[in-house]
Amino acid sequence: MAGRAVRFHLQTQGGVAMAPVPSHSIDMLIRKLESIARLSDEEKNAIGHLPVTVRPLNAGQDIVREKDRPSQCCLLLEGWACRYQILGEGKRQIFSFHIPGDIPDLQSLHLKVMDHSVCTQSQATVAFIPHEALLELTATFPGIAAILWRDTLVDGAVFREWMTGIGRRTALQAVAHLFCELYVKLEAVGLARDHAYRLPLTQADLGDALGLSNVHVNRVLKELRGKGWITLHGGRLEINDWRELAHLCDFDPTYLHLERRAA
Amino acid sequence: MSLHLQPVPIATDSNDAESQLVFADGFLVAMLVRLSDDHGDEAGMWFLEAGFGRVDDPSQPKFADLDEAQEWIQRRLDGG
Repeated sequence: MAGRAVRFHLQTQGGVAMAPVPSHSIDMLIRKLESIARLSDEEKNAIGHLPVTVRPLNAGQDIVREKDRPSQCCLLLEGWACRYQILGEGKRQIFSFHIPGDIPDLQSLHLKVMDHSVCTQSQATVAFIPHEALLELTATFPGIAAILWRDTLVDGAVFREWMTGIGRRTALQAVAHLFCELYVKLEAVGLARDHAYRLPLTQADLGDALGLSNVHVNRVLKELRGKGWITLHGGRLEINDWRELAHLCDFDPTYLHLERRAA
Repeated sequence: MSLHLQPVPIATDSNDAESQLVFADGFLVAMLVRLSDDHGDEAGMWFLEAGFGRVDDPSQPKFADLDEAQEWIQRRLDGG
């Protein structure tokens, strides 16, 4: 994980102000929000005019850290991120994985102190949106405020599923469920199709997310491969038998509350 | 308190089939599994498949050899 100073480095570099973001960058946010709700043209236009600062980040770099008091939110444009917390003896719990279009620290808009950290899982491009601009946007467009609220409620629904996974699913079911969930989320924002996607996660990441040892993750992946249900190679996951995989873990995407469902 | 090992095959649904039951004064306190070649760099290490009572640890540590594993288990039993 990168040091605490990173957050400040992200905002300016060598005293040079960041270039204004091309409007298409924030399209990722519009695409994400449209996956869970309908946006009017006026609302899309307002989102498109948010002042953002775009930064490329390396993998494993902290975007915001526990105890920070952020003045901006981070919109993921490219790459993956995760929310996490470090426990004693260097143990780590990952709370969620994030894909382009997500704002993993949206809560900082209303909860002033971060109670966890967010870091990149892969090389990433992020857009920082000042809190002030988001507050103004949500005050002017209550419909957007409602959609962001909806997004946090979906977030809560995903946490509930993860609790079930950590507490009540077998290791095999927990990994299968996560693979199904990630596919449906990626597919909803146009970043996956044909039941395949880039998965920039290590076995340790999967273990830290699901409360499993990397030994168990390794065994499970071998078993899923052995059954022929998945192919995992070079950071790319192919789900060869969606029906079997989804059946194994009773995957039901209702909790993702998507406007359009994956097949 | 003295530790006693008893080798036993284990069905983990994987190639990790070699294990040792660890007893302390006749009580089962842990089960160690030798990691197979499926585990790359960690092949040959001993994995705490299960620990009971003070030896229970959700982080399920791995040890370079059985001596290291027994030292760790003993420390746990001693309250360390």
